[in-house]
Amino acid sequence: MLERVLGLFSVVVGVVMLTFALIHMIPGDPVDVMLGESATLADRDALRSQLGLNQSLTTQFVQYIQLLSQGELGQSLSNHRPIAALILQTYPATLQLACVALGIGLMIGVPLGVLAALYARQWPDVVIMLLSVRIAAMPAFWLGPVLMLVFAVWLGWLPVSGMTQSASIVLPALTLGLGLSAILTRMTRTSVLEVFSEDYMRTARAKGLSQWQCVLTHALPAALLPLITVVGLQMGSLLAGAVITETIFSWNGIGKLLVESIEKRDYPLTQACVLVIAISYVMVNQMTDVLYRVIDPRTRGGA
Amino acid sequence: MKYLPVGILLCWLLAVLIGRGLGLTPNQIDLNALLQLPTTSHWLGTDELGRDLLSRVLHGVELSFGVALVVTVITLTIGVAIGLLAGFYGGQLDFILMQMTSVFMAFPGLLLAIAFAAVLGAGLNNLLLALCLTGWVSYARLTRAQALSLRHRPHVLAAIALGASPYRVMVKHFLPMLLSVLVVEATYSMASVMIAEASLSFLGLGIQAPQASWGAMLRDGARFMLVAPHYVLVVGACMMSLMLAVNLGGDVLRDALDVRRENTE
Repeated sequence: MLERVLGLFSVVVGVVMLTFALIHMIPGDPVDVMLGESATLADRDALRSQLGLNQSLTTQFVQYIQLLSQGELGQSLSNHRPIAALILQTYPATLQLACVALGIGLMIGVPLGVLAALYARQWPDVVIMLLSVRIAAMPAFWLGPVLMLVFAVWLGWLPVSGMTQSASIVLPALTLGLGLSAILTRMTRTSVLEVFSEDYMRTARAKGLSQWQCVLTHALPAALLPLITVVGLQMGSLLAGAVITETIFSWNGIGKLLVESIEKRDYPLTQACVLVIAISYVMVNQMTDVLYRVIDPRTRGGA
Repeated sequence: MKYLPVGILLCWLLAVLIGRGLGLTPNQIDLNALLQLPTTSHWLGTDELGRDLLSRVLHGVELSFGVALVVTVITLTIGVAIGLLAGFYGGQLDFILMQMTSVFMAFPGLLLAIAFAAVLGAGLNNLLLALCLTGWVSYARLTRAQALSLRHRPHVLAAIALGASPYRVMVKHFLPMLLSVLVVEATYSMASVMIAEASLSFLGLGIQAPQASWGAMLRDGARFMLVAPHYVLVVGACMMSLMLAVNLGGDVLRDALDVRRENTE
């Protein structure tokens, strides 16, 4: 347990160091890049001391850590508001999108995966697997516009983009969820097939349970266990993978905030967005790990 | 099914070669033919500046494939070297290198590549740098895991007992046994490098105008979706066919080389 906490701590420290290093990777003088050629000398000096760039690297790092530990992320250069407030404002939207996308992914992926496993190597399996390869090959920046074209422009069922209506979430969530469902289908199929060859499945069949009873009460609970890890990992990447989807659908989440900060050369904001997304990814993965240990009877009580 | 990926890739190669032979002009602007639907003179239609989409798509596939190839070769070399060192020497070196990979793994998906590209600035070279800086991690982990198990094989122990240098053990006794796993992994990751390149270009962080990158074309296509839906559909379909071919090619290779791929997601 102690080892795990230490491991987590060292990863978090590494992530903070890497994000701190980002601003020093800017070629040339970061102040020039942020303010442009025409800025006055006074403006440059002001920004330089605001960002602490006139101090030594170690002092800067210590200050960065000190501020971070107080939950202080600095000020945005483009609209002069505290970065923490900007992130808190956009984060719920990203979380909401990720949760709906995960729901869609599970609702499509798990039943299709079970179906494919039940009919392994027969036509339903072949069709489902072929579809999932095809969907997995569709990056968000193509799937998104296609869905937009079909459901918003041609059929007119859903709003094109933005987040003014409650139905606005459907298309971005579907874009993320479909990609996710392709992965979940494959995982469920493999996992169910593995469980099918277990002894207790043969026992269940031998005592006369119907095929459906076997699947629902014996196979699924065991087969869904490994899925928790995948879902956790995917939930984490949904928080970040939403960058492109949020940009396409003008969904005001942290991903769009990140892209906008890059466009405006608001590096402190970029840095903070990257840090927050990475830390939440690490945390979600840790929680998944703990959850897995709690749920799986085989790992309970052991290490 | 087995020949489908090869077939698609050959078609693309042929199309690119013919396009080169004909001397296509992907950057020629024709303001009289903006956003045209496919016609006999422009087989796939034109874009918002009247440039021929077919020529641009063919130029895009060269770029996309070239970037994927360069990035895969570089990241493979770095990743395998790090993985071999960590797996062979173990101990402190292994600990430090693996801590480093865990930190890189803590950034989901494209986040780190986006961050690097953002601070380095746009352009082809910086795009390559950003993708190389982030792409080596999966190879390193894969190689290390394999090297750890190879470390105790009799033929490796025998080689060490006979006085083979660490370099010789790694190159002559580890690498050949890793080759098939790495080839399969590299094929799959070529597809993800193509997606990464397109994603960064889509966000305006990658290849700059007027060069025809698929990501940038998809972004422009999405912008003119209401007036010219064929634009985004054509580019997307082309990109998907290539992605599919590379992924299926990975499957074929995996089955042919009999590699059990661990879940690296």
